[in-house]
Amino acid sequence: MKHKEKLVTLKNVWKIYQMGEVKVPALKGVSVDIHKGEFVAIIGASGSGKSTMMNLVGCLDLPTKGDIFLKNQNITKLHESKLSVLRGKTIGFVFQQYNLIQTMTALENVLLPLELQEMNDEKAKKQAIKVLKLVGLEDKMYNRPTQLSGGQQQRVAIARSLANDPEIILADEVTGALDSVTGKEIMKMLTKLWKEENKTIIMITHDLNLANYAQTIIELKDGEIIKIKNNNKQTTVRT
Amino acid sequence: MKLRKSLKFAINMVLHSKLRSWLTILGIVIGVASVIAIISLGEGMKQSLNSQLGGLGGDLVTVSPGFSSSSKFTHGRGPGGGGGSSSVATEEEVVLDRGDLQALKGISDIELMDTQVRGSVDVSYLGKKGSVTLTGVDQKYWAQITISEIDEGRMLGPADQNVIVIGGKLAEGYFDQPIGINKMVTIEDMAFRVVGILDDSSTSIIMPIMMAYQVIDDKETGIYDSIIIKIKDEENLDLVVEKIENKLKMIRHVTEKTKDFSVSSNKQTQEMIAEFMSSMTMFLTAIAGVSLLVGAVGIANTMFTSVLEKTKEIGIMKAIGAKNKDIMTIFLFNAGLIGLVGGVIGVIFGIILSSLMPIMMSGMGRLGSETVVSINSIILSLSVSIIIGMIAGVIPAYQGSKLKPVDALRYE
Ligand SMILES: Nc1ncnc2c1ncn2[C@@H]1O[C@H](COP(=O)(O)OP(=O)(O)OP(=O)(O)O)[C@@H](O)[C@H]1O
Ligand SMILES: [Mg+2]
Repeated sequence: MKHKEKLVTLKNVWKIYQMGEVKVPALKGVSVDIHKGEFVAIIGASGSGKSTMMNLVGCLDLPTKGDIFLKNQNITKLHESKLSVLRGKTIGFVFQQYNLIQTMTALENVLLPLELQEMNDEKAKKQAIKVLKLVGLEDKMYNRPTQLSGGQQQRVAIARSLANDPEIILADEVTGALDSVTGKEIMKMLTKLWKEENKTIIMITHDLNLANYAQTIIELKDGEIIKIKNNNKQTTVRT
Repeated sequence: MKLRKSLKFAINMVLHSKLRSWLTILGIVIGVASVIAIISLGEGMKQSLNSQLGGLGGDLVTVSPGFSSSSKFTHGRGPGGGGGSSSVATEEEVVLDRGDLQALKGISDIELMDTQVRGSVDVSYLGKKGSVTLTGVDQKYWAQITISEIDEGRMLGPADQNVIVIGGKLAEGYFDQPIGINKMVTIEDMAFRVVGILDDSSTSIIMPIMMAYQVIDDKETGIYDSIIIKIKDEENLDLVVEKIENKLKMIRHVTEKTKDFSVSSNKQTQEMIAEFMSSMTMFLTAIAGVSLLVGAVGIANTMFTSVLEKTKEIGIMKAIGAKNKDIMTIFLFNAGLIGLVGGVIGVIFGIILSSLMPIMMSGMGRLGSETVVSINSIILSLSVSIIIGMIAGVIPAYQGSKLKPVDALRYE
C-alpha cells in the first residue's frame, strides 16, 4: 500500500453510553488511521459499534475518551461552531434513510449545505446542478423527495453530500433501504466517486458482498477492531 | 448561514406548517385586531372631541350654579352649543342672578360676559311639531363670545328681539321641510324669524335671553343657567378662574366646602376629557394586550412542539454543517414570522373592525361615530407581534439549537 497522507486518525477512542445507572461501552479503545483516497468498509455484527464509530469520525459526536484527528485537527478540542464548519466542508454524509428535507425540492436539498457555508447564490446553484448531473438527476431537480423513488432519493442524498466538494464521504448502510439492483447502482456511484473524484470513502455495512467494493475492510466486534485487512478481492466496477 | 437564507428557510417552514401553526396565528390575529380596533376607536373619539371643542374658546370660562363633578362635564360644551343639561342635584334650587353678574363685572381681566338660560321647548314649523333645546343668550355679546360659526345668514345682534339662530341639523333634516333664512318658526305659540343657521349638526335654537324667559316655562327673569366669560388674556386663564371663584364665594357667602357654583374653562374641560379618554383607551388596550399575551403563549407552545417535530431535520442540518447559531436563527425567524403573519392579518381585521365599529356603535351617539386607524398603531402592533413571537420562540429555539447532532438524527 502506498504511503499517503493521514486524513482521519483515531487514537485509543472510547465511547461509553450512560443508560441510567448502566454504562454501555460501544467503543473500547479503537485506534485506526484512514488515509486520503482510501475506500474503507467497516463491518461487524449489529451492535458492534459501527455507527458509533462513524458518528465520531463525522464529528457528530465526541468520544468519552481518546482523541480523533481530522485533517490534523483534534476535533475533541474544537468549538461547536468550528466543528460545524469542519463537518460541513470536509465530510459528506449519506444515510440509510436518505434524510432529505421533505418540504424542499431536490435542488434545494443539495443547495442547503452550500448555503450553510455562505456560498454566493450563483456559484452555489452552478455547483448544485453539477453534482445533480453527476448522480444523473438533473431532470428531477425540481421534484420533492416524495416525488422520487428510494434510489433517486439516495442519489439526491449523495449529490447533497458532494455539494461542498468534501474530502470524505461517510456512508452508513446506504443501500439498506434499497433493492439489490438499485443498491448496486448506488455502490457503483460510490466507487466512481472514489475512483474519479478522488474522494475518501468510509462505508458501513454488514453485507460482506458490499464490503468487497472497498479497498480496506475494518471489522468491529463488541466495540473493538478485530481485523483490518487489505481487500485483494476488490469488486471491480466499470465506469 | 446568511440571514437571508435562514429567513427563506423559516418562510418555507411556515408555509409548510400544519393547522396548528395557523391556529396559533389566529390567536395573534385576535389580539392584534382588538388592539387596533380599540386604539382606532380611542383615536377617533379624541379627534372628534377635539374638532368639537376645538382649539377654540381657550379664553372662555363658564360659571354655572351648583357644584358637582359631573356638572363640569355637562357645562363644558361651550356657549350656544346646546345639549348641556342644567339640572344640578342640590336640595334647594341654587341659581345665578344679577348680583353675581354685577360682582363679576368688577374683575378687570374680564373682557365680556354672556348670560344664558336653557330649556326644552316645543317647536312647530309648517304644521310639524318637535321638542328641542333652546338657549337664551345676551344678544349684545353672544356673537363675540360663541365658538359656533354661522353657515348662512347672520349672528344675533344687539337690537334683535323676535329672531332666532338655529342649529344646522334643525334647519336641515329635523322637519320634513328644510328651514331657510327668514322663515317663521313657532316656539311655544310665539312666532320667530330665522336670521342665521349655524355650521354644526345640532338641533338647538339660540334667541335673545329676554325672549327666552317668555318661552321657557319656569325661568324667571334675571336668573341665569350659566354665565359665559371671555377673558382678556388667555395666558392668565388659571389666575382669572381663581379670581372669579374667590369673588363669587365672597358675594354668595360660601366657602370651599359649601360652594354652590362651579367655574370651568373650556381648556380645563378639554384637558380633562382628553385625559379621561386616553386613560380609558389605555385600559381597553391593556385588556386587548392580554389577548396578545395569550397569543404569545400559544406561539411558545407551538414552537416547542415544532422543535420536537423538527428534531430529525435539526440533526440533518447539523450533519451537513449547520451551526447552533443557524438553527437558533431559523427557529427565531419562524416564531417571528408566525407573529408577523398573525400581526398582518390582525391589522387587516382590525381595520375592517374599526370601519364597522361606527355602525355597530351608532346607538352611542357622537362618541364612537368615528374611528381613526393611525399608521403608528399599525406599526406598533406589527412590531409588538413580531417581538412577542420572537420572545416566545427564544427558549424553544435555544433548545433546538443545543440538540446534539447524533441524538437529533436518531430521533424518529
Ligand atoms: N445513544 C445511545 N445510548 C445508549 N446506547 C447506545 C446509544 N447508541 C448506541 N448505543 C449502544 O452502543 C452499541 C453500539 O451501537 P451502534 O449503533 O454503534 O451499533 P452498530 O454496529 O451501528 O449496529 P447496527 O448494525 O445495528 O446499526 C450498541 O450496544 C447500542 O445499543
Ligand atoms: Mg448502525
